[in-house]
Amino acid sequence: VTITECSAALRAKKVSSVELTREAIHRIEQYNPKLNAFITVVPEQALARAAVLDEELRRGADRGPLHGVPIAHKDLFCTKDVRTTAGSRILADYVPTEDAAVVKTLDEAGAVMVGKTGMHEFAYGITSENPHYGPIRNPWNLDLVAGGSSGGAAAAVAAALVPMATGTDTGGSIRIPSAFCGTVGLKPTYERISRRGVLPLSLTFDHIGPITRSVRDAAISFHAMAGLQRVDTPGEKVDVRGLRVGVPSNFFFDNLDPEVEGIVRNAIAVAQSLGASIREVRVPDMAALTTAGWLLLLAEAATVLRPFVERRAEFGRDTLALLDQGRLISATDYLDAQRLRKIFCEQFAEIWKDADCIFTPCTPTAAPHLGQNTVQTGAITQDMRPATTRFMRSINLLGIPSLAMPAGFNTAGLPVGLQVLAPHGKEAIVLRIGAAIEDALAIAGRMPEGF
Amino acid sequence: MTDWTKIAAAIDPPIPEADAEKIAPVLDGIERAFRPLLQLIPRGADVWEARREGEDV
Repeated sequence: VTITECSAALRAKKVSSVELTREAIHRIEQYNPKLNAFITVVPEQALARAAVLDEELRRGADRGPLHGVPIAHKDLFCTKDVRTTAGSRILADYVPTEDAAVVKTLDEAGAVMVGKTGMHEFAYGITSENPHYGPIRNPWNLDLVAGGSSGGAAAAVAAALVPMATGTDTGGSIRIPSAFCGTVGLKPTYERISRRGVLPLSLTFDHIGPITRSVRDAAISFHAMAGLQRVDTPGEKVDVRGLRVGVPSNFFFDNLDPEVEGIVRNAIAVAQSLGASIREVRVPDMAALTTAGWLLLLAEAATVLRPFVERRAEFGRDTLALLDQGRLISATDYLDAQRLRKIFCEQFAEIWKDADCIFTPCTPTAAPHLGQNTVQTGAITQDMRPATTRFMRSINLLGIPSLAMPAGFNTAGLPVGLQVLAPHGKEAIVLRIGAAIEDALAIAGRMPEGF
Repeated sequence: MTDWTKIAAAIDPPIPEADAEKIAPVLDGIERAFRPLLQLIPRGADVWEARREGEDV
């Protein structure tokens, strides 16, 4: 069930917010033991809030499309009087005294928070194999990772426990789990959605965004989260004729699983059939930008986690290793990496003279197994973590909007993600072309078996 | 190449030797990839800064 469907049913008085919330809580009770998508569930608080929102609707006070719709927050978003663990043991008992700005904004938009979703420890990883709260499982195959770090959010939305969950993205943490779980994830322009009250991982490239079951739901959520007054969501019929879609001739289609490449190239063909103008573009040295990004993340995350540096035994092994690495990065290397970032941002911006948006794969493969350390792309075996973030990390440094959406399913029945990029502030473009592709592919809303 | 284990021992609080030895090869890899990129930076190049609100929107 999408936000759009919930919203229509609420206004048609076919269902109440209390009933929707009760159903979400029921589904969480039923399926969370399988998925481990939630760390905390707040049924009483949610039902009380839903009752208030029902009463408002009865009085004709309508807060908009999220009014009365159950949602979840990643456990990195501070929630007043509800513990916020960041997926860590260190913050296992941390109960904020204030809501994050975006939690407040969504609350004012009428969303009903039913709980907090699990994640990779401190958002510092892409598998959500969490040593403290257990691994989050992929609804399409419980032996596979959900992706991360917003793994609980994507798993919860994919299994239709809630129609929307918030996420954060520092190097793919909204888009990777969306690709692996078959959800829609929007990483908006840097700082388009307030980071206030969201526990940081980095200092200069954390992004906040929604994970949903459709592109139109992502548009609704984005507008609410950004507090935008003017709602510019895709209409029922989307016209993309003449839109210039760039397809990179270098980097983004190298070392891909052939099935992933085929599915993404099919999405490009669909865009063309809808009247978009497809053109080849050449991207700057994204591998170099990724290297700079990795160095920046190590240093910035070490700064963020510095208050906990004496509590080594309480970290998971992978997070501790990354923290240690970051502590050894020199200030001169950090500053040079930020200088390189500026150079590559300027080079990348040149592409927008020839294209309105760019299509790439999200990840080189579909979701890997829990505990898997390498991935196979054709004849090449790659280290799973750098391979999975290869098309993602550099985009965080650019700060441009990026939409991850299902482009199809591979022969194993696993979702494969398309990434759509656009210039700064042009979320409307990725949402418009995304909605058109989604309509044409007609795969949105497909449910994993057993849910 | 940088001697990561020496730095790890010298910082406060130090990183235990066994842990430092595990991460040193990773940092060697980053250093090998990063050092050649420094040649791309022109003299006087600025560091990146976030765009002002409304820019290019």
